[in-house]
Amino acid sequence: MKTLRALYRGESPVDFPLLWRPAVTVSVVAVVLGLLSFVVLGLNLGLDFEGGTSYEVRAPDASVADARELMADLGAPEARIQLVDDDLVLVRSDVQDPARALEIRDGLVTGLGPVVAFEQVGPTWGDEVTDKAVKALVVFFIVVAMYIAVRLEWKMAVGALVAVAHDIVLSVGVYSVFRFEITPATVVAFLTIMGYSLYDTIVVYDKVREIVGRLGATERYTYSELMNLALNRVAMRSINTSVTSAIPVLSMLVVGSVILGAATLREFAVALLVGIAVGSYSSLFLASSLVSVLKEREERWSQIAVKVRNRTADDADGSKKGTRTIERSDAVGADTRAAPRRAPGGGPAKRRPTMTAPTGGGVPPRPRKKKR
Amino acid sequence: MRPVLTRPVATRAERPYRHRTLRHLATDMPRRQLAYLLGIVILSVLGSTMTVVWGNEPLLGLDLQGGVSVRLAATEPATEEMLDQTVSIIRDRVDGLGVAEPEISRTETGVLVSLPGVDDQERALSLVGTTAELRFRPVCGVTTTVRPETAASGSWSGVHAMCSEVGSGAVVPAIGADGYTAPEDDLADHFVVLGLRGDTAGQRYLLGPSVLTGEAIADANPLFIDYQWQVGLDLHQGQVGVDGFNQVATRCYVGDPSCPRLEGLTNGRLAIVLDGQVVTAPSIRAPEFQHDAILISGGFEKAEADDVSLSLRYGALPVELEPENTRVVSATIGEDSLRAGVVAGLIGMLLVALFIVAYYRILGLVALASLGISGALLWAIIAHLGTQSGLALTLAGITGMIVAVGVSVDSNVVYFEHLKEDVRDGRTARSSVDRAFPIAFSTIVKADLASLIGAGLLWALTVGAVRGFALYLGLATILDLVATYFFMGPMVRLLATTRWFADHPERFGLPASGAVPARRGEVPSEVGA
Repeated sequence: MKTLRALYRGESPVDFPLLWRPAVTVSVVAVVLGLLSFVVLGLNLGLDFEGGTSYEVRAPDASVADARELMADLGAPEARIQLVDDDLVLVRSDVQDPARALEIRDGLVTGLGPVVAFEQVGPTWGDEVTDKAVKALVVFFIVVAMYIAVRLEWKMAVGALVAVAHDIVLSVGVYSVFRFEITPATVVAFLTIMGYSLYDTIVVYDKVREIVGRLGATERYTYSELMNLALNRVAMRSINTSVTSAIPVLSMLVVGSVILGAATLREFAVALLVGIAVGSYSSLFLASSLVSVLKEREERWSQIAVKVRNRTADDADGSKKGTRTIERSDAVGADTRAAPRRAPGGGPAKRRPTMTAPTGGGVPPRPRKKKR
Repeated sequence: MRPVLTRPVATRAERPYRHRTLRHLATDMPRRQLAYLLGIVILSVLGSTMTVVWGNEPLLGLDLQGGVSVRLAATEPATEEMLDQTVSIIRDRVDGLGVAEPEISRTETGVLVSLPGVDDQERALSLVGTTAELRFRPVCGVTTTVRPETAASGSWSGVHAMCSEVGSGAVVPAIGADGYTAPEDDLADHFVVLGLRGDTAGQRYLLGPSVLTGEAIADANPLFIDYQWQVGLDLHQGQVGVDGFNQVATRCYVGDPSCPRLEGLTNGRLAIVLDGQVVTAPSIRAPEFQHDAILISGGFEKAEADDVSLSLRYGALPVELEPENTRVVSATIGEDSLRAGVVAGLIGMLLVALFIVAYYRILGLVALASLGISGALLWAIIAHLGTQSGLALTLAGITGMIVAVGVSVDSNVVYFEHLKEDVRDGRTARSSVDRAFPIAFSTIVKADLASLIGAGLLWALTVGAVRGFALYLGLATILDLVATYFFMGPMVRLLATTRWFADHPERFGLPASGAVPARRGEVPSEVGA
C-alpha cells in the first residue's frame, strides 16, 4: 500500500532490477511447470476439436444416474454426463455420425426433457480450425516482430515475443492443470491475452525509449537505472489499466456465470483474468529485464556502466546493494531534450559541460528571436 | 513590425474567471482543435440519431438469439460453381422457413448455413441436411384457386382417368392450409399439389405420382436455338433413362388418362419437380425422343434457362453434402447469454466509471465521455452492418468489445499519467497538456497498431468465432484512436484553457504544479532578478 502511494506520488519506490532475478526464476519455473503439465496431462480438448456430440437437456428432476442409464439404452454408454446449475444436464458423447446424433437427441427429448442446445461436430472440423489458428499465430508472431523491430528496435521485439510466449504458456498451463475445456471461445481468450500482453509491453517499451532518449545522452546512468526509472513511472499506468481491463472481465465472471448461470463464460473469464495479470507482470519484469540485459551488452552502455560504477565507488558506501534510483530533480535537470542531439550509437563521447549552478532548471536560455 | 498593444491588458491572474466567454476559449485554443471536438460530437450524435431514425438494429448471432447452424462439407472435391449452385438451392429451401436473416455462405470445402431465431429447428435441420430428389410427374391439372374442395368441383382444368382418381375422391392429395402439399407429405407415389418455382401468380399444379427420377438425366445445358433460349436434355440409356422417359412421353403425347391433355392443349404435360417446386412443366410434343435430342422450350430468359438446366443437371444438389458440424441453440439459452453479456457489460462499465472518476476526477469524466463517443459510433456501425450487410453480433464479438473497453480506457490512462509526470517535473498544467498529448498519442498509436495488426491477421486467416472477435476488436480499436485524437485530446486542451484547471489541479486528479519544490523555489528568484 505504501509502495502504491509512493508510485501514485510519482516517486520511484520499487527497485525493479533487483526483482528481475527472482521474477525470471519464478517465471522459468512456472513456464516449465506449464509445459510439463501440457506434455503429461495434455489439454482437455472440447467438442470442436475432437468431434462428437453434446446435448444440454433441461431436466430439473433428473440425476446423473438417470441420464447415464438413458444414454446406455440409446446405445451410447460411453457418454460423459454432468449436472450444471441443478436443472441442466450436459451430455457429451463421441458419436460423430449426424443421423445417430439426431436419434439420440430424440431419445433424450422423450426420456429426459427438452434439449435446449445441441452440437454435433465431425472429425475433420477441429483439425481445420487448429490448422488455421496455428497458421494465424505463426504469421502474427512474424509480422508483429517485424513491426516492433521497425517502430522500436529488434531487441525490444525479442523481449516482447518472449513475454507474449510466456503469457500464452502460462494461460494454456492453467487450462491444462485445471482441466478446463478448450473451446473456440478459449482460443479467442488466448488471442486476447496475446494481444493484451503485446499492447502492454509496447506501452512500457515506449516509456523506456522516451526516458532513455531524454536521459541517455548524459551518460550518467546505466541502462538498468534508466529502465528502473521508466518502469517506476509506467507502473501506475500498468496497474490502472490492468484494473480497468479486469473489472469488466470480473463482472463477466461474477454476473455472467455465477448469477445468470451462463456456464461457458466462467472458464473464459478465468483465463482472461489470468492473462491480464500475467500480461502486466511480464511486461514490467520479463520483457524489460531481457531488453536491459541485451542493451547492457552493447559497447556504449557497458562503457557507461563501468564509468558509473567507478564514480559511485568513489562516493564510498559501495556496500549498498540495489539499483541507484534517479531522483526527480536529477531527471528534470538532466533533461537533454533542448540540447542538440548527438548521433546515437557512437561510443562515449566527450562529456558535455554540465552546469554547476542550476540556472533556469537546466534549460539553456532561449536565443533571442530576430526582429522581422 | 510587431503589432502594438494600445491599451493595458489585465494579466491572467487579474482577469476575472466569469468574464471568460466562449469566444475567449475559441481564441485561446487552436481553431482546428475546436473543430475536431465539435465535429466528433456532431458525428456521434448524428450517428446515433440516424441509427434510431433508420431503425437499424444490431443483428444478433445464433448464440445470442438461438437458432440452428450447420456446416456442411462436400463428400468429394467440388468446384466453386457447384458450391454456388448448392448455396442458391439451399437458400431457396430455407426461404420457405421464414427465417429473418438466413446466412448461407460458401466455405472452402462446403456450405455454412446459419439460421438465427428459427422456430422449427427439426424442419430446418431436415431441409438443410437432406438432399431432395428430382422427380418427373405428369400434370393432372392447373389452377389458381387457393383451396379446391375436391378436384371434381370444376376448378381444375381437366382431370382424367388415373388423374380422375383424385377427382372422384378415391385419392385425396394431402394439402396444407396454404393449399400446397407440405414437404413431409411430398412422397414419390402420392398425388401432390405444388407451386411453380419463382411463380408469384399462385398457380397450383396437381401432379400424379413420380414416373422417373433425376437419375435418368445425364446432362442438361442451356442452348440458343431458333432465336430463343432452350434447355437441351441428355438422358442415360436404358430403363432408368431414355427408355423410361419415352414410355411416359408416349402416354403424354397422346393424352393418356395418366397424363391427360389439359384444356387448350393438344398434348399432356410432364412436370419436373425439385424440392417441392415445379421447375418446369413442358408439353410433350413427340411420342418418342433420342436420348440426346430433347429440347425444353418455354420462352426462357437466359438466366431462366441457366437455372433450369443447372437444376436438371445436378438434380437436387450438385454435390453430396455431409453435416460436419451442427449447432442448435434454443432461444432461451440465447437470451440468457445475451442478458448475461449485457448485464455483465453494464455492471463492468459502471465499476470502471466509478474507478476512473475516483482516480482522475474531472479528467475521468472526460475519459468516460470519450468512451461514450466511441461507444455511440461503434453502436451505429454495428447496427448498420447488422441491418445492411447481415453481419451478426456474436458472443465472441461482445467479448472483443468488452476487451476493447480496457484498451480504450488505457489510451486515456496513458495520457493522464503522462500529464501527471510532466506536472511533477515542474511544468505548468497548461504547458503539460500541449506537450504530453503528442507523446502519449504516439505511444497509443504504436500499441493500437499492434492490436490492429493482430485483429487484421485473425480476420484474414481464421474462421468462425475468432473472426467475429477480430472484427469487433479491430473496429473498437480504430474508434478508440478516433475518439482519442478528435475528442479526448481537444477536450482536455479546452479544459486546460480555463482558470479552473490552473487553480484546482487536484480536481483533475493532477498533483499541484511544481511538485519539485527545491528547484522551483530557486528558479523564479533567479529569473526574476
